[in-house]
Amino acid sequence: MPKIVIDGKEIEFKQGQTIIQAAKDNGINIPHFCWHESLSVSGNCRVCLVEVEKMPKLVIACSTTAADGMVVHTASEKTLSARNAVMEFLLINHPLDCPICDEAGECKLQDYAYSHSVGESRFVEEKTHKDKRVPLGPYVMFDGDRCISCSRCIRFCDEIAKDPELTFVKRGDRVTIVTFPGEELDNPYSLNVTDICPVGALTNRDFRFKARVWDMSANKTICHGCSRGCNIELWVRNNEILRITPRQNDAVNNFWMCDHGRINTFKFVNAEDRVDGPQIRKEGSLSKVEWEEAYNFAAAELKKFSKNEIAFIGSPYATLEDNYVLAKFTASFGSKNIDFIRHIDSSFEDDILRKEDLTPNSLGAEAVGVKPGKDGLNLEGVIKGIKEKKIKALYLIEDDIVSAFPELEEYLAKLDLLIVHATNFNKTTALADIIFPAAAYAEKNGTVVNFQGRVQRLKPAISTVETDRALDGMSMSRLDKFGTKYDRWAQGHKYDSKSTWKIISALSNVLGNKIKFNMAEEVFDEISKTITAFSGLDYDVIGELGAQSKLQAIEKNVNA
Amino acid sequence: MAVKKREKDLTFLEKIYIVEIVKGLSLTLKNMFKPKFTMKYPEEKFIPPASYRGRPVLVMDENGEERCVACGLCSRVCPALAIEVQAGETSREKERYPERFEINMLRCIFCGLCEEVCPEEAIVMSKDYELAFDRRADAIYGKDKLLVPINQLKDRIEFLRSYK
Amino acid sequence: MNILGIIIFTFIKILIVLSVMLLTVSYLVYFERRVSAWAQNRLGPNRVGWEGVLQPFADVLKLLLKEDIVPNVANKPIHTLAPIIALFVAFTTYAVIPFGPTVTILGYSIPLVVADINMGVLYVLALTSLGVYAITFAGWSSGSKYSLLGGIRSSAQMISYEISMGFSVGGVLLLAGSLRPEAIVDSQVGWMWNAILQPIGFITFLVSSFAETNRLPFDLPEAEPELVGGYHTEYSSMKFAGFFLAEYANMIVASAMIVTLYLGGWRFPYLESFGLSNGLFAIISVITFCVKVAALLFFFIWVRWSIPRFRYDQLMNLGWKVMFPLSLLNIVWVAILIMVFKL
Repeated sequence: MPKIVIDGKEIEFKQGQTIIQAAKDNGINIPHFCWHESLSVSGNCRVCLVEVEKMPKLVIACSTTAADGMVVHTASEKTLSARNAVMEFLLINHPLDCPICDEAGECKLQDYAYSHSVGESRFVEEKTHKDKRVPLGPYVMFDGDRCISCSRCIRFCDEIAKDPELTFVKRGDRVTIVTFPGEELDNPYSLNVTDICPVGALTNRDFRFKARVWDMSANKTICHGCSRGCNIELWVRNNEILRITPRQNDAVNNFWMCDHGRINTFKFVNAEDRVDGPQIRKEGSLSKVEWEEAYNFAAAELKKFSKNEIAFIGSPYATLEDNYVLAKFTASFGSKNIDFIRHIDSSFEDDILRKEDLTPNSLGAEAVGVKPGKDGLNLEGVIKGIKEKKIKALYLIEDDIVSAFPELEEYLAKLDLLIVHATNFNKTTALADIIFPAAAYAEKNGTVVNFQGRVQRLKPAISTVETDRALDGMSMSRLDKFGTKYDRWAQGHKYDSKSTWKIISALSNVLGNKIKFNMAEEVFDEISKTITAFSGLDYDVIGELGAQSKLQAIEKNVNA
Repeated sequence: MAVKKREKDLTFLEKIYIVEIVKGLSLTLKNMFKPKFTMKYPEEKFIPPASYRGRPVLVMDENGEERCVACGLCSRVCPALAIEVQAGETSREKERYPERFEINMLRCIFCGLCEEVCPEEAIVMSKDYELAFDRRADAIYGKDKLLVPINQLKDRIEFLRSYK
Repeated sequence: MNILGIIIFTFIKILIVLSVMLLTVSYLVYFERRVSAWAQNRLGPNRVGWEGVLQPFADVLKLLLKEDIVPNVANKPIHTLAPIIALFVAFTTYAVIPFGPTVTILGYSIPLVVADINMGVLYVLALTSLGVYAITFAGWSSGSKYSLLGGIRSSAQMISYEISMGFSVGGVLLLAGSLRPEAIVDSQVGWMWNAILQPIGFITFLVSSFAETNRLPFDLPEAEPELVGGYHTEYSSMKFAGFFLAEYANMIVASAMIVTLYLGGWRFPYLESFGLSNGLFAIISVITFCVKVAALLFFFIWVRWSIPRFRYDQLMNLGWKVMFPLSLLNIVWVAILIMVFKL
C-alpha cells in the first residue's frame, strides 16, 4: 500500500484517494466546507489548503490525489496563515446573525471561525445583501446572505437526488443560489441539503426556530417510514420529538433519508390523539381504566371464545419482540389464525432509498411467526371469517385494519370482541372493545428487520409513564439532566403506554399462561435462540449500525 | 527548619492587655453615637446604583417591540437554568422573536451572565429587588412581566456601555 | 414582730424581687440587642411597639409557640432537668443580695433583702457553683458531641475561675470581717469602696464573673463557630428559653454581687449626712443600687460587643497563671492594708 506522511504521521492510503480522504480515514481532520465524502469534488471553498513538500504552492487537500511518499503539513505556519485568510474572506460577507440563525450550534462556519480564524475582520465596508427567506421548495428555506457558495446542495441534487433543481447565478460576491426557472426544490430528498449545508443558508421549514440544537438530545434509532429502515436520530426536547436527522450507515442509507421519513414519521408520537392509558368500552363508549382492570377484563372476555373463533393480527409496524410475543400468545390459545397486514405502495419506491413496503418490519414480523399455522387462516381468511361471522373475536396490534380494508367497518362493529393495541386513536379503535395504549417506536426498545434482512435497533427517545430518561439509558440533554417537576421546560407530557410485548406478557399471566419477559432484550435473546434466522445475534452485536440476519431479501409482491 | 519570626513583639503595656481592652471599649463606645446605616425599609426604599443587579428584564424598544431575537444564549449560559426561551418566526427584519420567554425567579441567582452574553442588549438587570411570591407558579415571569420600556432602563444600559 | 408578719413581708419581697428579675431579664435581652446594634452602627429591633419595647414579649411568644424537640438519644429526665436547675440557681442566688437599707413599714422593721443570712457570700458561691451542673447535665444528656464539649468546657472553666473568684472575695471578707452581705455593704461607707481599696481584687473578681456567667470573651461553652450552640445545641422552645433567661439572670446576679462586694452596694456616698427622712433615704438607696447594677449590665454588654473570644488554652492560662496569683496578691495587699493602715 502506498504511504503518505501527514503532519509527521505516516499513513497508508488506497491508490486514487485524495489527501483529505486519506487523512479522514486515518482520523486526521482537515477543515473543509465544500468537500463531502459522498459528493463529487468541486474545490471552491479553499479552506482545505495544505502545504505539500516540494510543491511550489499550497494545494487543496480535497482535489489533490495522494501520491506515494508525499509529505503533507496541515498545521504549518504557511497553511495556517492561508487558512486564516480563507476564513477571513468567507466571513467578509457572512452576516453576524448567529443569534437569529437556526444553524448556530451545528454550524461548520461557526466552528471554524472559532478554531481556524483570528476572530477579527479588517473589512469595514458594507456587506453584500442578497435575498433572505426564499422558500426554495415545500420544505427548504434559503437565506442568500449566509450562503458561502460551497455548492454542496447543487451537487446533492445533481448527484444523489438525481433531480437537478438548483444552480448558481451571478458572479463575484453577488453569486447566489436559485432554482431553475419554473422548478422548485421538491425532490423527495430535498431536506438533506439542510443537513449538508455548512452554514444556515438552507434550513428546514418544518423545524425552523423550534429549538436550539443544544437544548435537544439526539437519540439514535431507526426510521419507520418504509422498509429501508434508514438510521436516524430523533431530536427531543421536553419529551417531544422536534426533528429527525439521518445518521450515517453506509450499508443502509449512507448519509441520507427521504423527506417523507423526516417529516411524516414522528408527529403522531406527540399528537393530540395518542391513546393515553388503557380504555374499555362501557355502555357503548370508551373510558379510561387502570391497567389491572383492563387486563382482567380482556382476560375474562378472551376466555369466552374457542380457538377457532379468535384471530390475531400482528403488525409490520411493531418490533420483532412485539410480534414474537404475539405469535407465542396466539400459540398459547392453540389458535393458528394469525397474520399481518401488508402496506405496499409501489408508487413510493424509487431507486435511491425509498422502498414500496411502507412498514419497517414486515420481513421480521413474518420471520418471528406472524403467519398462519397449518390450516390456520391467513389475512384474507380472517377477513372472510369476520364477514361470515365465523371469527367472533379479533386481537389486533398496532395497525389500522379499517383504513386498510374500509369495507370491514360494518363487520368489525358486529364482532363480539375487538382488542386493539394502538398508539393513536383511529378508525379501528373507534370500534374496539378494549384498547391497550401501545408505546410508539420512539418510546421503546426493540428491533426491526429491513428489506435487506438487516436487524436494526430501536431505542427509546421519549419517556412514558413507566420509563425514565436516565434509568432507561436514553440520551439526555442538559435540560433533561437538571429539570425538576417544577420547571415548565421539564414537564413534557408522558403518555401512559407500554410496549406491546409487555402488555401481552402481562395479559397472558392473567390468563394463566407463563409468557414472562422483563426486558425487550430477553425477548430478543429467546428469538435468537429459537429462530435460526436470528441465531448468533443479540443487542450488543446489533449495536448502533445493525447486523445482517440470515433472512433472504423479501421477494417482490409477496402478497400477490 | 525555618524559625517563624513574630511580626512584632508586644510591649509590656500591650501584654498587660488592660490598655488594649480600654482602647477597644472606647472604639465601640464611640460608634454607639455615630449615625446609623440602617434603612427603615418599607417606608424608606433603597434606590440602587446603576451597577446593581436586580431582576433581569427584557428591553422594550421605543416602538413597543422586544429587542430579543430568542437566540437562546441567555438560556444556555444561565448557570441556574432559570431562563426558557421558545423562538418563533416573525415578519420583522430580524426574523426570529421570542414566542415565549420565561424566567423562573426562584431559580435566578442574579449573576448577570444573561445580560453579559446577550448579543442584542435585550436582557438587562433592572433595579427591581422586590421579589416575593407565595406560589411557585407566580415566580415564573413571562414576557408580560419581563418587558420593560427602554426609558426606564437607560441607567443600566449606559452603565453597561461604559464598561464594554 | 410576729412570725406571720415576717412571712407575709418575706413573700411580698420574694414576689417583688422575682417579678422585677423576670422583667429585667427579658428587657436585658432587648437592651443587649439594641446596644449591640448601636455599637455596630445599626438600629436594632425597633418595630414591635414604640422603638421595639414590646420585642421581649414577641420573643417569649415565639419561643413558647416553637416545637419542643428532644433528641432520640437524649436522656430525657436530665435533659428536662438541666434548664430548670439553671433557672432555679440563677433566681435563688439573688435572695441574699441587699438592694436597700432596712425600712420600717407598719411598725415592722424590714431589711430590703429577701434573706438576710450570716453566711450570705458563701451561699452565693455555693449556688453559683451549682449552676455548673445545669450546663454539664445539658451537655451530657443531649447526646450530641457539641453539647458534650460545651458542657466539659463549662465545668473546667467554672472550676478554674471559681478559685480566683473565691480568693478575690477573701479580700473583701477580710476587710468587712463578716460573711453577711449587709455587713459588707456597711463596711463600704462613703468612698471606702472595695473597688478603690483593692483594685486588683476588683478586676480579678470582675473577670471571673465574666467567666462564671459564660459571657464573652469567655463564652467558650457555647462558642458558636466551634460548637454550633454549645451545651444548648439540642434545646428548643421553652427549654432553650430557660437557658437563655438563666444566662441573663446570672448577669444580673453577678452585677448585683459586684455592686454589693466592691461598689458600695446600695449606698450613695455620704447620703446619711444629708439628713433625709427614712423613706426618701430608702428610695434613693434602692435607685442607687439599680443604677449601679444597670451600669454594670451595660458594661457586660459593652464588653461582649467589643472583645473577641479567648482561645481555650488562653482562657486556662489566664485563669490559672494570671487571675489566681493576682487574687493571692490581692489578699496580701489587703493584709497590708489591715496591718499597716489599720483599716
